[in-house]
Amino acid sequence: MSEMARVTIPTHRAPPRPARIASVWFRHYRVYFNSFFANATPAVFEPIFFIVAMGIGVGRFIDVQFLGLDYASFMAPGILAMTSMYTSSFEATYGTFVRLRYQNTYDAMLATPLTARDIFVGELLWCSTKGLLFATIVGMVLLAFGKVLTPWSILIPLVGFLTAMAFGGLSFLVTSIVLNMNHFQFYFTLILTPLIFFSGLAFPVHTLPRSLSYVAYSLPMFHVIETFRMVTSGYRHVTVSWAWVCPLLLVLMALVLGWLGVRRMARRVQR
Amino acid sequence: MSESTSTATVRPESDTVIELERVSKSFGTLKAVDEVSLSIARGSCYALLGPNGAGKTTLTRIIGGVLPRNGGKVWVLGRDPWEEQSEVKARLGVVLQEDALDEDLDVARNLEIYGRFYWITGRRLKEKVHDLLTLVNLDGRERSQIMALSGGMKRRLVIARALLNEPEILLLDEPTTGLDPQVRQLIWSLMRKLMAGGMTILLTTHYMFEAAELADRVGIMDQGKLIAEGAPAQLIETYLPPFVLEFESSQATDLFLAEQAEPLLVERHGDRTLIFHESEQLLLDLVSRLQLSRTGLRGTTLEDVFLKLTGRGLHE
Repeated sequence: MSEMARVTIPTHRAPPRPARIASVWFRHYRVYFNSFFANATPAVFEPIFFIVAMGIGVGRFIDVQFLGLDYASFMAPGILAMTSMYTSSFEATYGTFVRLRYQNTYDAMLATPLTARDIFVGELLWCSTKGLLFATIVGMVLLAFGKVLTPWSILIPLVGFLTAMAFGGLSFLVTSIVLNMNHFQFYFTLILTPLIFFSGLAFPVHTLPRSLSYVAYSLPMFHVIETFRMVTSGYRHVTVSWAWVCPLLLVLMALVLGWLGVRRMARRVQR
Repeated sequence: MSESTSTATVRPESDTVIELERVSKSFGTLKAVDEVSLSIARGSCYALLGPNGAGKTTLTRIIGGVLPRNGGKVWVLGRDPWEEQSEVKARLGVVLQEDALDEDLDVARNLEIYGRFYWITGRRLKEKVHDLLTLVNLDGRERSQIMALSGGMKRRLVIARALLNEPEILLLDEPTTGLDPQVRQLIWSLMRKLMAGGMTILLTTHYMFEAAELADRVGIMDQGKLIAEGAPAQLIETYLPPFVLEFESSQATDLFLAEQAEPLLVERHGDRTLIFHESEQLLLDLVSRLQLSRTGLRGTTLEDVFLKLTGRGLHE
């Protein structure tokens, strides 16, 4: 100890891990809200157009009840899921890739006490926050249209957060292997978009032929939409009898995919 | 004995703030850094010279705790920078080759965001930002957008950013590449000011005059290896005579050199011929004998040593 006491120059300690992660989150928050209206407007209007066109426009001609609900109310959970998924996926693909390849943001961050893990945990939490934010905004739009039916909808932000975390992690996995930005097209067009349409956004998947419905149940998005269904429409309106499993699976997906995604991205920036 | 890097122990701090022992790093089959050993004393300026791809940047990234190594030992401020990344990096300042500024944020915000990575907040952060912008002559530019800044201004901002945490060691990776002479002078005087305050500086460059201007010690890297090391004057003395006559090669000069009874130390760079010698008078005689311009006679520089050691071909 006497060795250390000889040191006269004030030595700066590294911030503790939570502070390091928070500083990354704060960086994204600052950059994002610096041009919030340009960033957020499309993301808010898209679901509004969607609910108006599909739910109210098309829905008027669809004289069936899905799960005991009118068409727009049936679609509400899917729209929330879609919004949370896309918001986070765009951030963790295009956003992350631009920072990685063109802005050298991570190189600058790595020069500070931040570790690669800190950087991507912070970034994943930011993606999740965006999911929370947009799920909340869209939830309020749905509320205004009278499509949110239970007090449980207070949990919409939380489900949005978890959804965004799961897809943020999945998107990190994709970003960690792509060589250029065009490759993200495959991910969005061939994976995410079909995922959402075959997981109960536009029609209830239990009406599919039995084997196909099992395929739908195995898709991660089904569990997301089903969880949203519980908090927007109530447990009476879920698709399957074992729907209580879905929120648990969502939490599991958020943690596992998030962890894997962070690990892969951390390796990509620090070989 | 294996050259493993696993043991992380804290050593008492001494006057040697950076110490490398046979450090190696490979990317696939490419040996980017090949058994480099060196040590840097507190308060000194060390310049790593080398052609592009010599391994300078990789070595600084290893020292900076950003890259793991494959073998050897590294001590920065008495600690292993890879095993204790955050602790070591909290006491370093790094100026990267690329500016890596946040284009979406203005000048002051760029520094504020960065300060938070060190957990500098509130009043202290505001004061720090103000002081540093003054130091690099960017005061009054707080609200400027990054895109509106010139290359030299961006560089100065990046240097200010690296000083936010009051580092003990500053790592600069090609700090003046692509800048005009005025800005370069400004950055040099800034570095001298920091050195006067006791800062240790590790600098990579491929400008020999920059190394000669600033560094106490120079290390020359080529193909991952540290091939020569010493004070600039000492390096020149070790490898070449003090005077050189440089001129455009012609048949007449080639013939003359071929006919010399006593062999001269001759280097050829493309169509230039350089004759090195201990005696300035002998070279002056050559000037008149070969009817050359006197402007070709000069003192030997670090660049001559560098070219002699790393060869004249392109390294690609």
